Amino acid sequence: MPLYEGIGLGTEKQPVVIDIGTAYTKFGFAGETGPRCIISTEVMCQESGRIKKIFSYSNEEELYSLLVEFIHNLYFRHLLVSPKDRRVVIVESLLCPSVFRDTLAKVLFRHFEVSSVLFVPSHLVALCTLGVSTALVLDVGYQEAVLIPVYEGVPVLHAWQAQPLASQAVESNLRRRLAGPEEGELSPHSRISESTIEDIKVRTCFVTSFERAHKITAGQPDPPPPSVSYQADGSSTVDVPGSARETAYEILFEQDGDEMSVSTMVLDAILKCPVDMRKELAENILLMGGTTMATGFKARLMSELKYLVTTPKYAKHLAIKVFKVHKPPAKENYVAWLGGSIFGGTDVIVTRSLSKEAYLKENRIPDWANLMYNCREDDNKSANL
Amino acid sequence: MSHILQSDVVRYACTCGSLKPLSRIYFCRHCLKIRCGYCVSHEVDSHYCANCLENLPSAEARLKKQRCASCFDCPSCLHTLSTKASTVVVPSSDEKTVTRKLYYLACGFCRWTSRDIGYPDQTVASGGWPEKENPHASRIYNLLEHFKTLALREKQEREKKKKFIPRRNIYHLSGLSAAMARKRAGLPSIGPSSLKDDVGGPAELIPSAATEEVEQLPEEIFTDTLNLLKVTTLKQRLAQPEFQPQTVDELYPAHKCLLIKRSQRCRSCEHNVSKPEYNPGSIKFKIQLSAHYHVPEIRIVTCEPLRAGEKSEMIIKICNPTQYQSSLQFSPLPSPEEEAEELSKEIEERKQKVDRKDEKTNREDVLLLLPSICRQVSITEDPRPVNVALTGDISLPPVTLVLPPRDDAAEYDDSGDTHNFQDDPKIVVWRKANKAAMKLVITPEEDISEGRDVIVGFVMHYTYINTMATQLLEQREPQKVNLKVKLYITVGKVVGK
Amino acid sequence: MELQDIFYNKVEYVETASGNKVSRQTVLCGSQNIVLSGKVIVQSDAIIRGDLANVRAGRHCIISKRAVIRPPFKKFSKGVAFFPLHMGDHVFVGENSVVNAAVVGSYVYIGKNCVIGRRCVLKDCCVIEDNTVLPPETVVPSFTRYASSPGVCIGELPECTQDLMLEFTRSYYQHFLPAK
Repeated sequence: MPLYEGIGLGTEKQPVVIDIGTAYTKFGFAGETGPRCIISTEVMCQESGRIKKIFSYSNEEELYSLLVEFIHNLYFRHLLVSPKDRRVVIVESLLCPSVFRDTLAKVLFRHFEVSSVLFVPSHLVALCTLGVSTALVLDVGYQEAVLIPVYEGVPVLHAWQAQPLASQAVESNLRRRLAGPEEGELSPHSRISESTIEDIKVRTCFVTSFERAHKITAGQPDPPPPSVSYQADGSSTVDVPGSARETAYEILFEQDGDEMSVSTMVLDAILKCPVDMRKELAENILLMGGTTMATGFKARLMSELKYLVTTPKYAKHLAIKVFKVHKPPAKENYVAWLGGSIFGGTDVIVTRSLSKEAYLKENRIPDWANLMYNCREDDNKSANL
Repeated sequence: MSHILQSDVVRYACTCGSLKPLSRIYFCRHCLKIRCGYCVSHEVDSHYCANCLENLPSAEARLKKQRCASCFDCPSCLHTLSTKASTVVVPSSDEKTVTRKLYYLACGFCRWTSRDIGYPDQTVASGGWPEKENPHASRIYNLLEHFKTLALREKQEREKKKKFIPRRNIYHLSGLSAAMARKRAGLPSIGPSSLKDDVGGPAELIPSAATEEVEQLPEEIFTDTLNLLKVTTLKQRLAQPEFQPQTVDELYPAHKCLLIKRSQRCRSCEHNVSKPEYNPGSIKFKIQLSAHYHVPEIRIVTCEPLRAGEKSEMIIKICNPTQYQSSLQFSPLPSPEEEAEELSKEIEERKQKVDRKDEKTNREDVLLLLPSICRQVSITEDPRPVNVALTGDISLPPVTLVLPPRDDAAEYDDSGDTHNFQDDPKIVVWRKANKAAMKLVITPEEDISEGRDVIVGFVMHYTYINTMATQLLEQREPQKVNLKVKLYITVGKVVGK
Repeated sequence: MELQDIFYNKVEYVETASGNKVSRQTVLCGSQNIVLSGKVIVQSDAIIRGDLANVRAGRHCIISKRAVIRPPFKKFSKGVAFFPLHMGDHVFVGENSVVNAAVVGSYVYIGKNCVIGRRCVLKDCCVIEDNTVLPPETVVPSFTRYASSPGVCIGELPECTQDLMLEFTRSYYQHFLPAK
């Protein structure tokens, strides 16, 4: 067997790695340096011509048919391979709802007849891209920001942090700021489509520096950056004022009623971990997810962390002064996919994945939240007795 | 085009429970059942480029990452790039001026050219364009190798634990065995234990070093005006996932993605239902079992305006596409209990088929082989009941309609029908060759609101002559079977009284 | 849905021996270079530029009102040359469309207000939706559906498209009747 390992195109077909996010899906083959495509997680309904996001499902059956359509498109329009008898690696968030996982497994096994499926947690395999075994992984995506520390290859689940502070929040903040100070009036900006707002956010907005943000909240803003007039669809123009450009991302960093923000998430997670882990975790931070690619995000996060450590809330408990960030060998929005690709390119996929026969016998996939798979051996025995 | 396909007027119910128009369903001649795109398994047949229409064998397609070697996509509008030539007068070595052709890529739609990003013009018409390399590629391959060896080690350790059979023989105790001799002599050991050492330690891996330095916000962002024409859009960035350039002058053209030809296969009998030709330019099929050629087609000709609670007449046209005469009958849809019974019968049938297959292929050693070698038993999904809310009643005439076979020569022969069918002129209003028009009465529901669609359904029974070759060998005569199919017609919207 | 009868003014149309129905209000330049194979309908205000190069239309083609069929040109160092335009059988060209393609295959449906760029190649059995703009030198492969501007593939067609187009054009011709 070791002789055949190097020849990827020999006997064994390359496994497919899919990372389905709320806004975008990254997919490609295992063992490659980048995904083949990054497409939006939505499906075009053939009859009505409307586009429907997969995550806006109302019941399980609708999710089933949406997933069938979506994965069919993935395989036959973009990947261009047959799904049958090919292994699949799904990179998922540890906080993924069970109904989604179960339906996805059902679709893959029953409809597409793949040979085996391996679910890997995104925060864990992201470490494969670095070659370290300890890191504090912060994933800021579309719907929420999730932080899970990983120590020596084991996710420290009890220290998880999740906040709905991500691209969706930034986009609605931007929409409000574009609408102007007159609220309650139906301004023309309320009719801007989501994709236009996303484009405006990506191209014009940035995360401002720590000092300027403080001045803005204090009410004495520095002169704002110049405004941009954005041409939407070639017909209407949207004026993006400089203040909107600067402050759209502020919602991620301004502390809300519970004093939570993206930066406090990091510190709270470190606090929840045992004392001996804290220094190592603070010196190994990994940022991933599309929102972290915004200009100035990382610099702002570092300055916020440095500042917050000195505030009385954290200074009493934390003695950490130094924060270090890793630079992964990929763009942040597909770091988790790359981890899955590296993981799936090894032999582990043969030993650890759930094969079709095993699934059809049990009709269930292993889940960390399901105590059948999560108990220790002696607990199980005593329960059976 | 949608009015040709008419995807939502007349829909047939497939065995899996989904409703599809006639153009999108297949008819499996072996199981004599209707299959649709949902319950059929799709397979990739061949790859070809959309632009040069060149066929690529699958292995080559995989090597080239499913992209064409010679065609490029414009990075700014995602249209295909074309190679244009410009002649240049170049002084050659022997004092004569030679006109040489220099080629560059240009987009016909947005006028992007390869000179925008600074690509030098090429001297060859195709194949000379520089490829962009992912800067992190070597690091990622390092990581891959490292993890592969780690995983291999883990596997071997596990196997070693399983296969630990203590071999006790006297030679071992006395130190006379060959392995001990080799050890004393200092020679490397051979045999199963040597494999562990040969793998060596995991490849030298430098773990990523975290730094306090992060990319800072550039100061110019507060003062410079942003030129939106120079910033790439999200769509352009995502078209090249590995690079995702932020400015327009870093947008490199990507190779064009290939298209595929698909073949479809019935899940229960594993026979192909549709198989296209290999040649990308050909529209013929090796196997084409579209329902269009086997199942009678129903189309609405006219319908009187529909009013809630009142009767309206509808004329439908029925066409017999087969080469044999067919007789049709109509009956109302089965009640929910009968439907549930039919469904459970279907599920039972499938289970039996699977068990029979299981007995044939149940061999322990086969299942341990690579899944790509042995063909797995396909477990299909259970059929679902059709869930359409009927909003009208239809009166079905109890006649048996006989339709003559399809005759292609009749198009040119205007001499009229030679068949004499005894038709009730009030029901069958028109006949021509293999087509007939029938009158039906629709009654929309009493409490239906204005503007809503009226959906009616019925079952059509038709006779089908099975002309499969195996059948002919066994019985010497084409077999006549009675088949039925459920139809749902969206007649139109209700108008006010 | 079955097509309804379309009636035309008998005086307005000329019916030839091979069954072509050509309106008198069309602009047919260079009519000696235009070949209509049989049972072709050319509706009013259509323009076919046979003066630039040969134009050949297959059987059962339908060219709707105000459509423009113009052969494409190619620039050479020594000037400009026009290429002949061949349309296959059973092609439907919608209203107001401009067809500059080099080759149009058989069983093609072109919608309304389309612009087919220069030297495009449309293979058999494809559909160009309404309001599409195909940039020059696009190749449209078989069984695909193109839409929007620039034309991109938005879907696939069923396998029996050939028969569907055949029946559609044939029944259109049969229902195109002179008003009584």
